[in-house]
Amino acid sequence: MPSKTRQKKEASSEASREVYPRVRKTVNKAKIKAMTKSSDAKSDDRILIWRLAKGLGQCFLALLVVVSILSLTACTKARSRFEPGVLRVNLGTEPPGLDWHTATDSTSFDVVSNLMVGLTQYTNDLTCAPSCAKNWEVLDDGKRYLFHLRDDLRWTDGKPVTAYDFEYAWKRLLNPATAAQYAFFLYDVVNARDYNTGKLKNADLLGIKAVDPLTFEVRLSKPAAYFIYLTAFCVSFPMRKDVVERYGDRWTEPENFVTNGPFKLKHWQHEYKMELSANPQYFDGPPKVKLVKMFMVPEASTAFALYENDELDFIDNRSFSTPDVERFRSSPEYQNYPLLRANYLAFNVSKKPFTDPLVRKAVAMAIDRSIFPRILRRGERPATSWIPPALPGYSPDSGLKFDPVQARALLAQAGYPGGKGFPKAELLYPNRDDVRLTVEATQDELKRNLGIEIELVNQEWKVYLATVRKDAPPMFRNSWGADYPDPETFMNLFTKDCGNNDTKWWSPKYDQLIQSAEGELDTKKRADLYRQADVMLCREAVPIVPTFLATQNIMVKPWVKGIAINPLDLQFFKAVEVGGQ
Amino acid sequence: MIALILKRILLAIPVLLVVASLTFVLVRIVPGGPFDADKNLPPEIIANLNAKYHLDKPVPEQYFLYLGRLAQGDLGVSYKYVNRTVNDILSDAFPVSLQLGTISLSLAVLVGVPLGAIAAVCRGRKEDVIAMFLSTLGISVPGFVIGATLIFVFAIELRVLPVGLWESPWHVVLPAVTLAFSPAAYLARLTRASVLEIVEKDWVRTARSKGLSQWSTVTKHILRNSLIPVVTVLGPLTAIVITGSFVVEYIYAIPGMGRFFITAVMNRDYDLILGTTLVFAVLLIIANTFVDVAYQILDPRMRIED
Repeated sequence: MPSKTRQKKEASSEASREVYPRVRKTVNKAKIKAMTKSSDAKSDDRILIWRLAKGLGQCFLALLVVVSILSLTACTKARSRFEPGVLRVNLGTEPPGLDWHTATDSTSFDVVSNLMVGLTQYTNDLTCAPSCAKNWEVLDDGKRYLFHLRDDLRWTDGKPVTAYDFEYAWKRLLNPATAAQYAFFLYDVVNARDYNTGKLKNADLLGIKAVDPLTFEVRLSKPAAYFIYLTAFCVSFPMRKDVVERYGDRWTEPENFVTNGPFKLKHWQHEYKMELSANPQYFDGPPKVKLVKMFMVPEASTAFALYENDELDFIDNRSFSTPDVERFRSSPEYQNYPLLRANYLAFNVSKKPFTDPLVRKAVAMAIDRSIFPRILRRGERPATSWIPPALPGYSPDSGLKFDPVQARALLAQAGYPGGKGFPKAELLYPNRDDVRLTVEATQDELKRNLGIEIELVNQEWKVYLATVRKDAPPMFRNSWGADYPDPETFMNLFTKDCGNNDTKWWSPKYDQLIQSAEGELDTKKRADLYRQADVMLCREAVPIVPTFLATQNIMVKPWVKGIAINPLDLQFFKAVEVGGQ
Repeated sequence: MIALILKRILLAIPVLLVVASLTFVLVRIVPGGPFDADKNLPPEIIANLNAKYHLDKPVPEQYFLYLGRLAQGDLGVSYKYVNRTVNDILSDAFPVSLQLGTISLSLAVLVGVPLGAIAAVCRGRKEDVIAMFLSTLGISVPGFVIGATLIFVFAIELRVLPVGLWESPWHVVLPAVTLAFSPAAYLARLTRASVLEIVEKDWVRTARSKGLSQWSTVTKHILRNSLIPVVTVLGPLTAIVITGSFVVEYIYAIPGMGRFFITAVMNRDYDLILGTTLVFAVLLIIANTFVDVAYQILDPRMRIED
């Protein structure tokens, strides 16, 4: 290659005129000197690299300057650790909808529970307290309810809340055109099922009626002792006919939304955040915080980092990863609450070898439930019975306890001594990390205590649901969360006609027990009926093996007071205070 | 050039029809439906839901209904986000992804191309090794590791930038850098390979032999020609980056549309799956049209061919 640098230096070629003045402007002289002294092409390369690198450097420098200015502004503002009267929480995801007739998930219900109140209200000790209804009468042996409404109830637009709003809401819930997934909640109401399924067209024949603006009457087709709990659940909240009809699908957007609870929807940036402001017209007095900011941070570690950086005041399971629980277990900010959500291992009793109750019992007795909290480390409560301890009918002795010796004896009795000849059975589970840990532990327990091999099969969530419903494998892992605080929500699951009973097991005796319990108004007798059914389910027939109850793990900043978790996992922010240390 | 653009627009119609049809069929083949949940619903309720969303009709009828709506620009309704249309969801989310994607892409080009050029010019020297080490790192380290590391260093340890959320301009910095990392690395490698190839060409030798400086040779002759493959990948890359990244949006809690590519499928939200796929296809077509126009500007031979 010719010695171009020298040429440029000596001659006045076009190229040299082009390059050098520019280089002189930008590159320091010492550098140019060094470059010109060095040998030809290499120095030209260096100029090029220098320019390119300089371009790059400038980009980074600009970025650095912007970042520094921004962070400086942020720092000089001396951001306080909390905003007095403002609660910042993480919802995790976008609520799929705030129309409480079509909403089905806990995120939506968490928001709706703070925007609306119904006839009654759940307390944290699982009873139903009066709310819109100041009192109610149970008539005709539990087949007729008469609710007397308060006269000081107001919607956020100032109009009074009346029994007609309840009548409209309940009829809309049952209207097939609404396609409400929770419509079955009111199937105990006279003619409700027929109307919802289109067999009956006239809504006036439903057992729902506003007697006058302050009296709401409900007639049931059979006594249902759990019915009062349904009046506190989101789907039974009142609704404004004029608003729904006027705004159609957009009636839940902040500019149109009319509610009657402690908060009102101020702002909703979809997929990002919601802001709930205090409702000064709330009958029970406005809440103590003026604003609740609900962010939708899907990634737990990010939400946790936001909490650590004082950008969130309160976080729950949605914002916790297991290592975070471990790290903060001894922190005064950490709290753990039991939930009414039970996990279980289910058998398809129509598939061998689980057609034999002895085999199912052996499996139930071979699993040490205490391993689950040790693996999942979120304070899970081991369970052997299906009814959780907080509910009537619970007995610690209903289920089969861990007893590997007895388990092996039962398996031998079933024809598989020491697990010999036991066919390799499939255990299906949905593809989730925590579930994988529990089924792996189950597999290990069964191998160690019974000598049987279980094959683990995982499927994506919806594929798993479709498989279990269509033709469940011999074993599968499942869970169930209570909709209301009554044993019925758990026990009804394994009746013959329940759409969620994928075990293929049913018994006329069990169905009879549940039916009797549903109509029994004597609480003691009712609890006893459920206890008998629980024994049948977990000790005699064993179509399922309850494993553990889930818990809610929360962290609350010291400047937040009054956060309490309901076992139904509902979060009420009405009584929360921020900043009153 | 206008003829080329018109031709592309006309060609886009059958392409989109094929994309919509294939996606329509594929989402219905996957097991599980939009209303499957851990709490199984009574058959009557499922029937009500299917009737509301026309899922009770035969699949061919559903298909033609869908195409009819599509022709009017209606992407349908979401089964998961009740009362929200796919048009609503995407028009809320797309501007966010577009904003973040444009910044990231600019960053990627500004860093990646010069880095690749430096590496090629200094082939085999320490500059090359450093540049290629950085680009290999950028390609092989996944976005969630980069994101988590940046959050840890800048947000938690140094506390100079926010952990996440989408509130102010400084909330854009970390997600933009995370999103730019991989494309920048990819562009750097591509530029390097391309420059190395062009350097050997006859016209480069001619340029040098007539006494052109290294700077002019590289910028006017080498880089311009070696940008052709870079521009080629920039088409799909643009569509990918501006439609959002699931990982980046997830870890920084950004309300973009990238998340729907995953969550819509998980929820079997049929119309939303189709909507996101079609938006992606349209952007890909637009980006590729730009690429073709850019070809003509960069390489005069292409104009003759066309």
